[in-house]
Amino acid sequence: MNFDDKLDQAARQLATEITPERDLWPGIEQAIRTPQRRTPWFAQAAAVVLLVGASSGTTYLAVKGDSGPVVSVAPELIFEKAAFGGDYHLGPDFQDARNSLRAQLDTELGRLSPEAQQDIQSNLDVIHAAIIEINTALEEDADNVLLQQKLLRAYREELALLQRVGGLTRNVMMRNDI
Amino acid sequence: MEALLTAGGSDYSRGMVNTSHDDVADEETWIRRAQRADAQAFESLYRLHVDRVYGLCLRMTGNVSEAEDCTQEAFILAWNKLAKFRGDSAFSTWLHRISVNAVLGRIRKSKREHDRIQAVADTEGMRIATDDTGELRDLTDAVDRLPEGARHVFVLHAVYGYTHEEAAGMLGIAAGTSKAQMHRARKLLAQQLKEQGFEE
Repeated sequence: MNFDDKLDQAARQLATEITPERDLWPGIEQAIRTPQRRTPWFAQAAAVVLLVGASSGTTYLAVKGDSGPVVSVAPELIFEKAAFGGDYHLGPDFQDARNSLRAQLDTELGRLSPEAQQDIQSNLDVIHAAIIEINTALEEDADNVLLQQKLLRAYREELALLQRVGGLTRNVMMRNDI
Repeated sequence: MEALLTAGGSDYSRGMVNTSHDDVADEETWIRRAQRADAQAFESLYRLHVDRVYGLCLRMTGNVSEAEDCTQEAFILAWNKLAKFRGDSAFSTWLHRISVNAVLGRIRKSKREHDRIQAVADTEGMRIATDDTGELRDLTDAVDRLPEGARHVFVLHAVYGYTHEEAAGMLGIAAGTSKAQMHRARKLLAQQLKEQGFEE
């Protein structure tokens, strides 16, 4: 059997049915039960929120420092509806972790190459733009579950990226130490 | 009912053949009810097809978040277009085409953002979650690293069994281009997999 045959055979054995890690129906149900709008924000927000990383049931966020504390953020604490308008804010634990990571971001970035700094800042800009767009959309449609999920994911991705910056700088430091 | 099982040529051949008689009968009922705006019936259609739609989205995007978004968009698009579904092809085939459109639409609209984010994502060595093991896991990873055009053709043609003409129609390219992309995919996969001991 030549390589192409083996490749074809292996490709046919790959799973074509994969179960999502979370139930996607609530977001779909919310969208189809909400009357369609002509406003372009939904598509824009959906397009912007192409964010890295896989979703998981629980997000563990390491606060900076080699022996620093680890903050565990339960999903139900992450996202709270504000009392005003359609805006949303973050839960206290999530906010603490975010603030800690943000406060150390500049220091961490300083340890990376200018190219890496630019990449990371570009990614943060994309995520921030997404957060702003989704929040704007939520002002018009506060109960849209799909948008709420996208906002939650955007916040999570921001934290994951900040955490990733820490991981990158730790690697740089280890190499420097050697 | 027969149309559901046979329409669309090779379309969806890896799955429809496993659909039971009862499922098909139920599916027809759910489609009719969903076309009358019955969201509960549409949820049943979602439950029946979500794994296959998500699988396609995940294989095409190589990214869990994007695959989730594409899956949701595909079903929302399907709901909005359901009245136009006449049963000329299997519902699953029709849904697959919508899913491919959802994937391509998202990629087109967010190309810049995707590219920028990918630069950081690559540092993570992120893996898509499938049940593939051993050499199949290696193949999954290698497919995920293919350039976009080659990956899409490989997934539709080699994994999902669509002909080049069908894959080309879904992707909006010429059949010759699909064949060229498949050739490119084979070449790149050979380079990657032989290094990893994918034996001939």
